[in-house]
Amino acid sequence: MSPPRAQASCPPLVALAAAALLAAIAGCGGERPRPLVGLNRQLAGEDSSREPALAGRWLALISTREGRDRVQLVDVERNAQLPLPGLNRPDAQLLSVSVDLAGERLALVRQLEGRTELVLYQRSQGSLRQLPISPAGVPRRVQLRADGRQLAVEVSRNGLWQIDLLSLP
Amino acid sequence: MAAGLASLRGLSVLLAALVLSGCDLGASRRAPDVGPGGGNRIDPALSGDGRLLASVLERDGQGQVIVQQQPGRGLRPLRLRRRQPHGSPSLSWNGRYLAVLVQEGAQRRAVIEDRLRGRLLRLPLPPGSQPERLSLASDGTRLAVQLLRNGRRQVEVFDLRGLLERDLPPGQAVLGGGAGQP
Repeated sequence: MSPPRAQASCPPLVALAAAALLAAIAGCGGERPRPLVGLNRQLAGEDSSREPALAGRWLALISTREGRDRVQLVDVERNAQLPLPGLNRPDAQLLSVSVDLAGERLALVRQLEGRTELVLYQRSQGSLRQLPISPAGVPRRVQLRADGRQLAVEVSRNGLWQIDLLSLP
Repeated sequence: MAAGLASLRGLSVLLAALVLSGCDLGASRRAPDVGPGGGNRIDPALSGDGRLLASVLERDGQGQVIVQQQPGRGLRPLRLRRRQPHGSPSLSWNGRYLAVLVQEGAQRRAVIEDRLRGRLLRLPLPPGSQPERLSLASDGTRLAVQLLRNGRRQVEVFDLRGLLERDLPPGQAVLGGGAGQP
């Protein structure tokens, strides 16, 4: 009588093992970063893209098309690009960009007419202003704090790279 | 009369000071030193709350990521002491997560250190691509990676939900997910 009992207990064991395997596979799947396919496809349409900066739902980055750099601001949740009137210039080479959590302020480092400058753009006003670096130095990378009230800037001075923290009103 | 002129002069000085302070773009200061020897400090990254500053300290040709409490306080310990050179650090809101590029043999890899649990997560990226820059969303739900693939630079964004717990400002609830909730 025992063999039939063993046969009867086999299917639940097999089912249990299959369930455990499925759970393991599902667990493994959850431990992989999932690409945002639609957004990535959209970004792949550029000749190149670089210097990404995420803040909340916003992604700021520098893209290049036909040899010209431009800053892009993308709403990741809507997969939509936002207009940045007055920011991009065809004669500027862009080095770094950062955005705050509200998507209102963008900080960028750009080379324009032989000068490297740190500028702050306010999207709602379409305004752009240069931020002074003191003591003088050449900026390269910038990051805005989430609230947009502080900047961390990589600055070259006297042959050394340093980090400046700049408070903004 | 003289007293009136003096007070007028004082008032004009005060007004000039106010106008000038209105034009001021704010105070600038250098990130605090990290001990003797100096070296280049590159790749600054502030946590969402601004309490922590991550950067890469270059010494003897190696780059090591450091995390400093702001303003001007001590270094925070990290598990990432090896796998140098490090690059492109990025912090979550409270600094729980630190995304950073590390070197493992000939491979450049993207990892995330969970500073709360002391775990190091390796992020598998598309084959044939090399990560060059990282940016972690402050709540830890997304990671943007600049990849070099076939000589072309491309930014790709990855969803990390299911991989990381959210790192939110204190008191901010996670919405959804409960019974009867969207």
